[in-house]
Amino acid sequence: MRASYPDHVGTVEREGVRLGYEVFGEGDRTLLLLPTWTIIHSRFWKLQVPYLARHFRVVTYDAPGNGQSDRSVDPEIYSLDAQASYAIDIMDATSTAEATLVSLSMGSMWSLSVAAEYPDRVLGQVFIGPSLPITPPTAVRAESAEAFWLEHDDPQGWDKYNAHYWQTNYEDFAEFFFTMCFPEPHSTKQREDCVGWALETMPEVLVAKASVDAVNHETVLDWCSRVTSPVLVIHGDDDRLSPLSRARQLAEATGGSLVIVEGGGHIPLARDPIVVNRMIKDFASRIAVRQDELA
Amino acid sequence: MRQHKWTRGLNRRKRALYISSPIGLGHAQRDLAIAKELKKLEPDLEIDWLAQDPVTRVLEAEGETIHPASEWLASESAHIASEATGHDLHCFQALRRMDEILVANFMIFQEVMEEGLYDVSLGDEAWDIDHFWHENPELKRGDHVWMTDFVGFLPMPSGGSHEEYLTADYNAEMIEHIARYPRIRDLALFVGSPDDIVPEVFGPGLPKIRDWTEEHFQFTGYITGFEPPTDDELASWRSQLGYREDEKVCVVTVGGSGVGRDLLEKVIAAYPLAKRSMPELRMVVVAGPRIDPAGLPAHDGLEYHGYVHGLYRHLAACDLAIVQGGLTTTMELAATRTPFLYFPLRNHFEQNYHVRHRLDRYRAGRYMDYEVTDPEAIGAEIISRAGAPVDYLEVETDGATNAAAMIADII
Repeated sequence: MRASYPDHVGTVEREGVRLGYEVFGEGDRTLLLLPTWTIIHSRFWKLQVPYLARHFRVVTYDAPGNGQSDRSVDPEIYSLDAQASYAIDIMDATSTAEATLVSLSMGSMWSLSVAAEYPDRVLGQVFIGPSLPITPPTAVRAESAEAFWLEHDDPQGWDKYNAHYWQTNYEDFAEFFFTMCFPEPHSTKQREDCVGWALETMPEVLVAKASVDAVNHETVLDWCSRVTSPVLVIHGDDDRLSPLSRARQLAEATGGSLVIVEGGGHIPLARDPIVVNRMIKDFASRIAVRQDELA
Repeated sequence: MRQHKWTRGLNRRKRALYISSPIGLGHAQRDLAIAKELKKLEPDLEIDWLAQDPVTRVLEAEGETIHPASEWLASESAHIASEATGHDLHCFQALRRMDEILVANFMIFQEVMEEGLYDVSLGDEAWDIDHFWHENPELKRGDHVWMTDFVGFLPMPSGGSHEEYLTADYNAEMIEHIARYPRIRDLALFVGSPDDIVPEVFGPGLPKIRDWTEEHFQFTGYITGFEPPTDDELASWRSQLGYREDEKVCVVTVGGSGVGRDLLEKVIAAYPLAKRSMPELRMVVVAGPRIDPAGLPAHDGLEYHGYVHGLYRHLAACDLAIVQGGLTTTMELAATRTPFLYFPLRNHFEQNYHVRHRLDRYRAGRYMDYEVTDPEAIGAEIISRAGAPVDYLEVETDGATNAAAMIADII
């Protein structure tokens, strides 16, 4: 059973693709909890939503490819521009004029681009384990990324991050990937949840998503320079997916602050939900105070 | 005008926040008994309860004070009910899948404690508090008393080696928590005696459960939450309830949740078989509010009730009880020295291992495996055990007093 159920659910449609969203709580202070890589869906916020929804209005949605959204294999619908548009579509559909955006991992790119392109819709941003090309990836990931489309014999480790391997050994890849996401001891439930959500979509979706041109370093820096609202970055120093240097650089380039989770992996919101919940709430509360002062 | 009040430290009364697990009704009963004893020792102590249904119903009936934040709590008992199918509840996995409810409820508890009004929190199997304070030790407020009636997650055979790994991993984390932060549990109470602890280890390479528990807990003895009735009381209850001396009354109860229909059906099928050899047999089935007896068979001498007031009096006064394997009800029957058959829920490690071990120690009740027991076998058990003498060990009556004294010591 879920800890809380949405007060309102709905879908939006853009160019034939349907996206599902959920709204919890009420009021004019909204947190928009963004999707991340579509290998998991919006239920990854399950440890945040009940708490945050007692203090704010909370909106979650699924990007295409998983959860309540269509499983399209058309790469176009996974483009960065499309992802930013989905966030705005969801805000419009839920009558959310402005919101604090909270993102995990790859969601950081969508958050940043929305904040840069629609600054009047964004009150602040919380980035958790941001994964974006603001500094280079780890050496091992860079190496495997180069061979992403090549077929390997019996790939091991990060070589499993591979289009062919996904299509032949998807579940094993998901097991590997989420073991990397949660290096913290005693993380069986977190890994299991994520693998379960991964199995709700299919590898063809992830391959389509991977076919989209990557965002480059200059674009990310340009977005950062256009951010005008407060930023909080939360990052584990044992993040095996996205190096801590990215969080430092992101905080610096946006004038934000950084909280390092010592011993933490890539998804502290699931492994250390209590501290992450409190940080999100404190951040959003300070923004609310600022709004009141401006009003 | 906005008004605010701050009370000087020495002007404040001592206050405790009691968190009673809503999984099974037994916690409420024993926690009330502890609270009553505690108030005798600490007359100035104010106790508020952070509690949810069905515990709140019991507390309200007793006039206890329920903290208003209780209304925000996500329902643990509804979750557990949703996890049960037929005569099956995989309670370890159900607890794991309760993760989001535990986080949601911990956040509420923490906000309440951060108001700074409570000197101590009393958590009876309040898993969220114990776990998350160990994970976030800087958040601890006030003293903390942890209470439980079992220690150690145990794997069920159906879960294979993966479940052995998982239960050991959960146990290892708990052991590491206690070793690193002994300051989180100011007092850890085991509701029972060292002999009640299963002779198992926490997992490969981990300590023996009994050794570790004896080192880290104080033992209160069992807490039933009531005084066992005298023979005179039993006789008078029996006549008040209309149970005649010349009949053998068998009370069948499966608790308040929808879990239990399968067991009821099997037991009811045994009734006509037993009745043939035991014409004086009368079967009283308490189906609970969620099972509609309309679809169950009718027989002469067999009656159905949705709810009976004071069920414990029926259980104490009858000749045989047939129940599931929950600790509270079975130990109540042990205390009242009622013959009983109990059927632990399939895949419920606590009922199958911890509770069964304890009942064996008290020589109480007859363990029945739902899976392999057919109506004929149940019928034969009814015939041989209804009204038969028992040689149960006496159940302690001072458990609540002991617990209260230990708690009062740290307040």
